[in-house]
Amino acid sequence: MPDLGDLCRVAVEAGEAGEAVEAYAEESRRTEAKALRGEVEGLEFSESRGVGVRVIREARLGYAWAADPDADDIREIVRRARENSALAASDEHNVLPEPAPWRPIPELFREASAAVATEEKTRLALGLEARAISRDPRVTKIDEAQVSDAVSRVAIASTNGVEAEYQRTDAWCLAVTLAVEGDETQTGFSYRIARGLDELDWEAVADEAVERGARMLGAAKPETARVPVVLDQFAAMSFLGVLAGGLSADAVQKGRSLFAELVGERVGSELFTLVDDGTNVEGPGAAPFDDEGVPSGRTELFTKGALNGFLHNAYTAHKGGTVSTGNGKRGYRSPPSVGTSNFYLDAGATSRDELLQRAEGGVLIQDVSGVHSGANPISGEFSVGATGLRISGGALGEPLREMTIASTLPEMLKAITGVGDDLRFFSSVGTPSVLIGEMTLAGV
Amino acid sequence: MPAVSIAIMLPRELVEEVLQAARRRGGSFSELFVEERTSTSIRLDDGKVEELTSGLDRGAGVRVALGTSYGYAYSNRLDRDSLLQAAEAASAALQEGEPGAVVDLTVREGRGVNRTDRPADRFPAADKVAWLRELDDAARGLSPEVVQVVGMYGDSLQKRLIATSDGRWIEEDRPRIRLVTQVVAARDGTIQTGFFGPAACAGVELFDRFSAKAIGEKAAQRAVTMLDSVPAPAGEMAVVLAPGMGGVLFHEAVGHPLEADAVDKEASVYRGLVGTKCASEVVDGVDDATIPNGWGSYDFDDEGEPSQRTVLFENGVLQSFLYDRLRADKDGVGSTGNGRRESYAAPPIPRMTNTNILDGPERADAIIEGTDGGVFVTSLGGGQVNPASGDFVFGCSEAFKIEGGKVTTPVRGANLIGRAIQVMSAVDAVADDFDTWEGVCGKDGQQAPVGSGSPTLRISRITVGGTGA
Repeated sequence: MPDLGDLCRVAVEAGEAGEAVEAYAEESRRTEAKALRGEVEGLEFSESRGVGVRVIREARLGYAWAADPDADDIREIVRRARENSALAASDEHNVLPEPAPWRPIPELFREASAAVATEEKTRLALGLEARAISRDPRVTKIDEAQVSDAVSRVAIASTNGVEAEYQRTDAWCLAVTLAVEGDETQTGFSYRIARGLDELDWEAVADEAVERGARMLGAAKPETARVPVVLDQFAAMSFLGVLAGGLSADAVQKGRSLFAELVGERVGSELFTLVDDGTNVEGPGAAPFDDEGVPSGRTELFTKGALNGFLHNAYTAHKGGTVSTGNGKRGYRSPPSVGTSNFYLDAGATSRDELLQRAEGGVLIQDVSGVHSGANPISGEFSVGATGLRISGGALGEPLREMTIASTLPEMLKAITGVGDDLRFFSSVGTPSVLIGEMTLAGV
Repeated sequence: MPAVSIAIMLPRELVEEVLQAARRRGGSFSELFVEERTSTSIRLDDGKVEELTSGLDRGAGVRVALGTSYGYAYSNRLDRDSLLQAAEAASAALQEGEPGAVVDLTVREGRGVNRTDRPADRFPAADKVAWLRELDDAARGLSPEVVQVVGMYGDSLQKRLIATSDGRWIEEDRPRIRLVTQVVAARDGTIQTGFFGPAACAGVELFDRFSAKAIGEKAAQRAVTMLDSVPAPAGEMAVVLAPGMGGVLFHEAVGHPLEADAVDKEASVYRGLVGTKCASEVVDGVDDATIPNGWGSYDFDDEGEPSQRTVLFENGVLQSFLYDRLRADKDGVGSTGNGRRESYAAPPIPRMTNTNILDGPERADAIIEGTDGGVFVTSLGGGQVNPASGDFVFGCSEAFKIEGGKVTTPVRGANLIGRAIQVMSAVDAVADDFDTWEGVCGKDGQQAPVGSGSPTLRISRITVGGTGA
């Protein structure tokens, strides 16, 4: 099999005078083991690789890609990308980044995880299911129990002289339990991600999926009221996804961000500090460089509620007269856009228990649905479905469902009155529990 | 890098060898799925062609099944060594057993449900750019309040070969085309968006149904209309769904719990209810992969089962679940031809195709006139459902108040919230103006093109979550 870096260099060498060429190559080896009813439900393996090529000619960008190309295919991809560039608009901001030194992060690759045998992965999946169905008499079956890992490698080379390559391991597991009482069924979801299978806390995933399902049994509609709300990490994460979209410089430059005109202003509460940090090895999104070969960086997007700036790739940085924040993100099938690395709400000093005490009479929201369809990324208005539990006496009480919360993102950020110390990453997005002083819960 | 016929790439002897290798530990069957997909995508943003991308995807997946358990392995490489390695890896999912046989492979011909006389790959990229420009001009021409237009054009040709140890050899090509636009309109600091994106499993015949101009205008009209919107009312009320939209709701809230994997895992509200009344008697619903050039249509599903029209509801009585091969074998029934996969990179799972509520006897205007108060939904933004409980929520991207039998002010921020069986039982009027809506459905990390269709219909009572009075 040709080496990834060699394939990239073939593309660079195929460049003609007066054009900039960049190749991005990735390969991965993945395993996914699923258990059901005490047996291996499914075992999936994959070996995949692909290369995508950008050609910039007369400030016009063309793109082409192929799965598992050989050197001849690569030259053909370059030719296609060149052909495509002829039809694209000329845009002076179509630039490739200049090479910059990046620091390898050897911790991203765990040899021990890459070497784990398949039998061990199926054993973990079976263990995950077995534990999930033995914790609570109302939870005797699951919808899904999955343990997965990947070993991947990325290489980038360009006519500007970028040469970058690294490898990583990732492991994750998830469980969806079914809690049953009488005619009623509730599902409970949990998920964790780690650098390697050996670091994966699958027992906690089983326990949490059981708890989150079982405690929703008997859920009823609440009366409409304005109450304090604690967003747990799962619920808060859904909103962070929408925020990320509005903090991309691309959205800002195209007039598609509610934050466009707010740099320097206090948008959220004092407690709201939001960070993107690709150098933070604790986060799953850490990498030595982004998908254009720009070294990863740390960007504090909000400090104590004040908006500092946006996330950039090479294109948006050139257009905005600034430097890339190392947030060029892509797969090989498309040119880079702006994306997050480790994107997280900075942890506060308050324990989750204390947040619950301060939200007396309010509601803990454990899930929100329809954020992507129910939130307008431009106006920031949203109205989403929610499930959760009444908070009484500092503890979780009656389960609630068929309710909606509606507000705007800026209003919600301003209304944050507590941030937990329990920061947790889901994929590359992380958040602690968040207390919102007051929100309208419509139980209708 | 031109597309090659897969049969030329993979001789029959090699396919048989791979199927045999995958059954080295037995199993109920083995299967090889080979795919080559060429694609073009173009993005027009702010009047400029930002991206023009050509893709070539290629790979093969080997599956071996035993009951509802399976092993699956795929590779981008189609040489003998890589395929045999994938077969070896897939078979590792099974316990040690006696090797199984491979029956003589017999070619099965399809009906050609997605035939096209004007395949998109015969048109130069310059034509495709011109369609986007036509869309852009039309959207901007509709109103000076239109401030942004993003247009995305995509076409692809997927060539597939499916061979199974029980003797299937199926080749089928699937041409796809889609033109999507998102328009932003602004007035005095208020911003609203409008979306429209018709699609077909066809060539440029798509534009016979909707011209690029019509697509641009429709999205722009939606954005401009919503500038006049007021916050949606909240509470329980009557909701009338415009043609197509009832199909979207039917797909999410009812279709997903009818997929046989959800039923098998006891994670479906419809488990054990076939033959029972689970919807109002005015509801007739089908899943139909045989509609010519439908976005979710095909001759054979992704495990080589012939496609069919499956009746789901007749007069509100549940008739069938949607089966793939594994779940059908377990239940001792025939597959309904709903085993679908996103690509060679994933094993098939039960999925919907074109899921439709059929025409009823009423007229749309009469339904509106007969509705004293409520909401008229003309565009749904997407939704989520929990198949186990049947709870769902939908965002409405374009909706209006109904007051005194008339459609009046547009409303924003409306959500429809409810439970599948209760809501389908509350359907009290179905019109005769069937239309479809094309979307992309996500499940287990796999995307599938799906059609949803319905005539105008009314739900007598459903929860609307909104921020207004």
